[in-house]
Amino acid sequence: MRNLFNFIIRYSHWLVAIMLIAFSFYLVFAHNSYQRSVYLTSANKVTGQFYTISNNLTSFFLLKQNNQQLLERNAILEKDLYSLRAYLDSLATADTTEVNAFVRDTVESPQFDFIPAEVVNLSFSGVNNFITINKGSARGIKPDMGVISQRGVVGVVSHVSQNFSVVIPVINPKFRLSGKLKNSENYGSIAWDGKNIRQAQLLELPRHEAFQRGDTVLTSFSRIFPRNLIIGFVSDRGESKDDNFNTFNIDLATDFYTLQDVLVIDDRFYEEQKALEVLLQ
Amino acid sequence: MKLSYLYEIVRFVLLILLQVLLLNRISLFGLATPVLYGYFLLKLPMGRNPFFVIISAFLMGLMIDIFLNTPGMNAAAITIVAALRKPVMDLFFEKEEYDEFIPGIYTATGPFVRFTIFMVLLHLTLLFFIESFTLFNLTSTLLRMITSSVITILLIVTLDSLFYKRKQSEQL
Repeated sequence: MRNLFNFIIRYSHWLVAIMLIAFSFYLVFAHNSYQRSVYLTSANKVTGQFYTISNNLTSFFLLKQNNQQLLERNAILEKDLYSLRAYLDSLATADTTEVNAFVRDTVESPQFDFIPAEVVNLSFSGVNNFITINKGSARGIKPDMGVISQRGVVGVVSHVSQNFSVVIPVINPKFRLSGKLKNSENYGSIAWDGKNIRQAQLLELPRHEAFQRGDTVLTSFSRIFPRNLIIGFVSDRGESKDDNFNTFNIDLATDFYTLQDVLVIDDRFYEEQKALEVLLQ
Repeated sequence: MKLSYLYEIVRFVLLILLQVLLLNRISLFGLATPVLYGYFLLKLPMGRNPFFVIISAFLMGLMIDIFLNTPGMNAAAITIVAALRKPVMDLFFEKEEYDEFIPGIYTATGPFVRFTIFMVLLHLTLLFFIESFTLFNLTSTLLRMITSSVITILLIVTLDSLFYKRKQSEQL
């Protein structure tokens, strides 16, 4: 009996180790990225604060680059504004008896609202990439909202706490989105193969689909993103698993290395559309 | 004696912060990421209570996981390494060395380097294979594992020779 107790005492640290290891593996397998608790992610308050402080320091070094991007964006908007103004002028001088069959109802509010947010943390050293942003449920952010940057699609919100949210970016193997080439209506799905942070893949596009290097890849049907948002640009033909379909490597429009400011898309009709579609299932 | 515990707590916190705020953002050639937090286990006194070693390792892994949104992965890997620490130490160090002996590059160069290489390889092998349960791509996993291990080992040897130089020479 005494020997037995001695044995247990001598080896009890192995027992503790086995229990802790088992618990860790339980976390690995049970906490799938879409169900796991906010407390065990970087959306919780303490880790969010740490990342905010660190981001305040590092964002300083990216100011110049971000400024440049904003200027470019500004230039594009300026151009659009100019062309729209010109169009308005041409309308004003045109025949005023013309019937405007489609008068835009200005009382109606737009379908999409954009909530600006700042990136406080990015992780892309491994395959479990995520982004933490500094707005949460207090600012109306909910899971499954789309996130874009000024250049293109970034990802989808997966977890929300009061002041922070975790975003699953395009460069995460769990991310799926339907996309299409700009000059065609056939759609395929966007996925990431885990190799390069600057490139994702457009899969399952019909074989006959013609493409050229640099073709724009846009969002197609999606509950999360508005249509025709830029995802990236075709770089070359990738390896295809199936002979009937093409796979393209695409250069992502969003530069994840320097990502600082994002917009979260609040779709007013999301709940309504989802509720309607759930009826059929 | 009391002061050494304080050092350990400071080292524990600093290594976590260093890992999540700096090292995990590094991706050399898109492959290698230093995984330094296991250094904590290397610098514990040889005769430290295994309960303490295992539980502190688990807590460290869990903290890293919470910051990096990888539930359980780092915790599982580092806890296994912590459990195997004592048998591995017996392989590389003389048994008669005293309990308060802290392995270091200046106190036992050869054994320490061999011990470091073994522990880092063990830790990163476990870590990358647990991670790739979700996305299995053998060649890229192996490549990332090997390059990350090399960088981590170099970093540990460098840090150890930087920070423990003065202290060791005082003792000698």
